[in-house]
Amino acid sequence: MRFTTKTLIFVFFFGFGAAHSAIRIVATTQDLASIAQSIGGEKIEVQSLTSGTRDPHFAEAKPSMIRKVFKADLLLLVGADMEIGWLPALLQSGRNSDVQVGGSGHLDLSNSVRLLDKPQGAIDRSMGDVHTKGNPHYWLDPRNGINMSKAIAERLSELDPENKQFYQSQQIVFENKLNQKFKEWRNLLSPLRGQSVIAYHKSLIYLADAFEFNIVGEVEPKPGIAPSAGQLNHLVDLIRKENVSLLIMEPYYEKRSSEYLSKQTKINVAVLPQSVKSMPNIENYFDLFDGIVLSLKKAGGF
Amino acid sequence: MNNHRSNYRIFRKKLGFTLALLTIYLPIFSPNLVFAESETNSLLTEIKKQLKKLKNEQAVLEKRLEEIEDKEKTRQLMTQTTSQPIANGSDNQLKIGLSGLFAGGFSSVDNNDLENLQAGGHDPNRNGFTVQNVELSINSTVDPYFDAQANIIFLIDQDGETVVELEEAFFTTRALSSGLQVKAGQYFTEFGRLNPMHPHRWDFVDQPVILSRLFGGDGLRSQGARVSWLMPTDWYSELIIGAQNAKGETVASFLFEEDEVIAGHLLGERSARNFSDLLFSARWLNSVDFSDSTSFNFGLSGLSGPNSSGKTTNTSIVGADAFLKWHPDYSQRGFPFVSWHTEWLSRRYEANDRGNFNREVLTDSGFFSQLLWGFELDWIAGLRFENTHANGDNLLDPLRDKRRRLSANLTWRLSEFSKLRLQYNRDWAEHLEEDTADSLILQMEFSLGSHMAHKF
Repeated sequence: MRFTTKTLIFVFFFGFGAAHSAIRIVATTQDLASIAQSIGGEKIEVQSLTSGTRDPHFAEAKPSMIRKVFKADLLLLVGADMEIGWLPALLQSGRNSDVQVGGSGHLDLSNSVRLLDKPQGAIDRSMGDVHTKGNPHYWLDPRNGINMSKAIAERLSELDPENKQFYQSQQIVFENKLNQKFKEWRNLLSPLRGQSVIAYHKSLIYLADAFEFNIVGEVEPKPGIAPSAGQLNHLVDLIRKENVSLLIMEPYYEKRSSEYLSKQTKINVAVLPQSVKSMPNIENYFDLFDGIVLSLKKAGGF
Repeated sequence: MNNHRSNYRIFRKKLGFTLALLTIYLPIFSPNLVFAESETNSLLTEIKKQLKKLKNEQAVLEKRLEEIEDKEKTRQLMTQTTSQPIANGSDNQLKIGLSGLFAGGFSSVDNNDLENLQAGGHDPNRNGFTVQNVELSINSTVDPYFDAQANIIFLIDQDGETVVELEEAFFTTRALSSGLQVKAGQYFTEFGRLNPMHPHRWDFVDQPVILSRLFGGDGLRSQGARVSWLMPTDWYSELIIGAQNAKGETVASFLFEEDEVIAGHLLGERSARNFSDLLFSARWLNSVDFSDSTSFNFGLSGLSGPNSSGKTTNTSIVGADAFLKWHPDYSQRGFPFVSWHTEWLSRRYEANDRGNFNREVLTDSGFFSQLLWGFELDWIAGLRFENTHANGDNLLDPLRDKRRRLSANLTWRLSEFSKLRLQYNRDWAEHLEEDTADSLILQMEFSLGSHMAHKF
């Protein structure tokens, strides 16, 4: 009897640890989860805290997420204030010192890329919800995907040095494939090069940078501020003046503004998958750009 | 002259003859030139062909050059971003925020009645304007072991006096193992969902009647410590057990101030003498996600502590709370959504010690249930119903009479950092002369400084 109790206690304290040899990764977005999956393969278990169909800036710190953070060995975050409204609450409730800021399992991927749109000079919130650290939508540039994969491979190698070779070679495979695909995507989108485009929110500038088109205006007058009738009419003028033929937006934004603009100016509207799992059949980081390219080609008629 | 002419004539004849001979013989003696015309034609085609070929080659080369240039550009772009990643910095500094809640409104009853109807400390409880709550909130990480937070509130009371309160100041542990977390200091007791919630997060401009009755105007908060355990279950299950001082004006129902009265029982001086005179609290919170779009929280809470109506008297409070939230897979800034929040609370209050002729047990219960519908980006419609009652005859006691209230409101979030809210309240209260009261309140909120991160 005493023996069984001891065994039970032993199993309770050590059994769970032994059962999980794979590194448990929790990512704040599906995009980070997909890249981590490409690098970690079967050596990791990865979960995303958000679904991909919603703007990760407005996620909520649900209790189910607290459990995931509690159990994680590694937390991947977009950073640059993307998760400011909910991740601090999760970290405070998550009781996991490894994944806290400064912990071995805390990886802020905004530190691995060059952020665009860093505000210059004086800013305040009369300009809307400006991200003071720079624009956090950087995963929409495949070149940044490479930087992110490097940072993830490096951290996984530190956490699990036995499998360092594996992570490094997986990263090289990922990088080569992404390089090759990037060339294909650039070729497919070459008709768009140098063209003027309108976006819904200031979230697609990395896409414009990677594929060399110009975003000349946004439907939102200021980040996070809904467009008024006046703003929409101002856009109608802009579209006519600059001869803009394409409006690009994420699937979760309201459709009325784009429908109005499309009716007034015949502008083509491309609803793009902005994240992995934001639309059907967008299962990984490569599908994401395949999907974006497809939507742009379809809407642009090239 | 004639000679010249005849010579010329002879020359012409000879030339004509020679040319004729040439015309006859040349084709015979110079076979190479026989095909001259057709030869030139084929040469021309050949040159054209070669030119075409060269042009093709040029196009191929140009294309290849373009490709190489493109590749080089891509490579340059790649190296540009891969060479030296920029550390963008993460903020570990002090996070400071200031939020302000203001209200203006009118009711069908006068200020004295309104104070009884709106017994919450942050409630708009007078005709005209109310500074409901100005809250300075500071939080940060202390060191690898602790996070800490302080909330200081500023109010202007009915007499125009400014009131400053240390609403909360506490630390929480960061690095305990086994899913444990300790919180200590001055803090809101984690009883139910609404009690620990700060006014700027409320869905209505005022606090529910039953909370004002059991926990007083400021909500239940005190000095103490609690342990929370995240249980190793398949779903989210958290157990919180704590002990706090039972004395003070923010611990109504327990060791409340002297010279106050509850249901005709005078409250006296009673201090905590030993451990058992503390206020003990427990909460069990569970949460499940039915799907990506629907989450459900369910909690049970309990309190037990001494009260100041006697030397041995005790109060216990129990509560149940449920919160359900739905928003579709595709939603912009959290809209649209539907949420439903209900809490039920019940108090058992021993008034006067055993053996006292005046001894009785008071029971007060009530619930509120509210439905919020974010029907349109930045617009929320809300409906709340409340019911509160107590045992005994309390027709004229504004703190224990039978009350019902129906509230409807409309909230407009202008941005993440400001909102406007218009609310209508219909009160039915036994203690009122007219039995009913109607109020209309406009509320405005601003929020400055660091983004506040909130729990679900």
